[in-house]
Formats: sequence, C-alpha cells, structure tokens
Amino acid sequence: MMENQINPIHSRLRLAGTLIMVGLVVQALSLLWNHPLSFIAFVSIGGLLLAIGVILYLFALLNIPAAQAEQESAKGQKLQS
Amino acid sequence: MPTFLVLAVLVITIVLAGLVVARPTLTVVRGGKMLAFLALFIFPVFAGLLGLENHVERSKQTSFCLTCHIMGQYGKSLYVDDSSYIPAAHFQNARIPRDQACYTCHTDYTIFGGFNSKLKGLHHIYAQYITKPQQPIKLYHPYNNRECLHCHEGSRSFEQGALHTADAQTMADIKSNKLSCMSSGCHDTIHNVKDLDHVKYWKPVQ
Repeated sequence: MMENQINPIHSRLRLAGTLIMVGLVVQALSLLWNHPLSFIAFVSIGGLLLAIGVILYLFALLNIPAAQAEQESAKGQKLQS
Repeated sequence: MPTFLVLAVLVITIVLAGLVVARPTLTVVRGGKMLAFLALFIFPVFAGLLGLENHVERSKQTSFCLTCHIMGQYGKSLYVDDSSYIPAAHFQNARIPRDQACYTCHTDYTIFGGFNSKLKGLHHIYAQYITKPQQPIKLYHPYNNRECLHCHEGSRSFEQGALHTADAQTMADIKSNKLSCMSSGCHDTIHNVKDLDHVKYWKPVQ
C-alpha cells in the first residue's frame, strides 16, 4: 500500500528531470538554427530551465534525510491508527 | 566539436533524464542513484557547456554575422572587384579565413578579446531588436592597428614596405597605434558601403 504513495523525493526528481529535458530540447532546437536569436533562446530559455532543473535536483539531494524522516513518521502514524 | 556530435550528446542526456522521470523508483538502489546523478547533473551540465561552446564558435561565422539585415552591405563589400578595398582584398585572396571573415578582423587580439567580442555581439542583438541600430553603424572605437599587426607584423611586405620604412618614426608610430593603418592616403578604403552601387564585383569560381 505504501508503494502506491508518491515519494516526495521522486516527485522532486520528476520535476527536476522534466525541467532539464525541456531545457535540453530547447537547446537542441536552438542548435539547428544559425541565427543570433537562437543563441538568446539557448541561454535564456534552455539555459534557465536547465539551471533550475539541476538546482532543484541538488536541493532534492540535500533534503533526502528530511524527506525520509517525514515519510517514516507518516508510515508510523498510519500503523498506529 | 561538430554540431551533430553536440546534438547526439544532448539527445543521450534527454533519454537518460527521461529514464529518471519515467521511473524515479530506480533511485532506490545505489546504481539508480548514480544514474540520476549522471542524468540530472553531470550530463546536463556537460551538454549545456558543449552547446554553449558550439554557439560561440558558430557566432564567429561570416554567415552568422550576415543574418542581420543591416550587415548585408558589409558582406557585399567583400566581393568588390577592387584591391584597394581592404576587406575585399583580404577576403578574396584568402588572407583571412573566409568563413570567419568578420570575426577575424573585428575581434580584439587581447587576452579577453574573444569574450569582449561576444559581449559586443549581445549588444548588437539588443540594438537590432530592441533599440534599432543607428545609421550609419560605427565601430565602438577607432580601429586598432593591433588587429592588423596580429598577422602582418613580421611579414616582409609590412616590415620592408617602402612607405612603412620611409623613416624610422613611421614604423614606430604604426606599431604603437599612433598612426592608423587606415590613415588617409594609406589603406583608407574599407567597406565603403555607400559606393557599392558603382563598383564591379568578383564572382568566385564555383
């Protein structure tokens, strides 16, 4: 039953991964267009999404112990009830 | 690095990130954690840096500079069939790499010259799309002889040129940028875009 619950770490990883994927897709598309605006798109859209995704992932790593403790206490409360 | 290789790295990174997004439970085991670290940190940063490097290299291309309409006349001036046109003579005689003609002459040959050129490029984009460029466009600073001497210094035609060696002071002034190479009566026909309708053009052999 617990396996069906969404792990907060996993949801953060999903969000970070999605942002990184979208950022990388924008960057890949910008490489197909030889124009000054493609560089702007690469940096301002692709770079920004990529940076947010990576930072989100690193924050998720930092918060793993807290998230695990949160999950453990939720598990304990359910067992008690 | 060629664009197709950078694209390949980007696609591999997207696939790896997609794997973590589709199956985040992989990260429960140690191998999955390592995969996530690679897919969400190492590879994206590496791919992003490769892409940035590719963009910076591409921005040196003549075709890149000429994508802005305002530069069209300057690109046209490279084909003028008159050797007194300095950019045309350099371009047509392959004294500079043709595919990086603008960058080769308009970058600063200093330690951060390439970086400064890219910053100026960002300003060009701002001017082109936000404020509209002033006509006629001008250089930020008078052209520095350093850029000419980067290639010409030490060459026979420069060091032993009759006018360059007319007196010792002339050569010293050229090398210290006190006397511009483009001074009146010297190499003073540059792009000269206002006269491009009255000149003959060189047609490269295909």
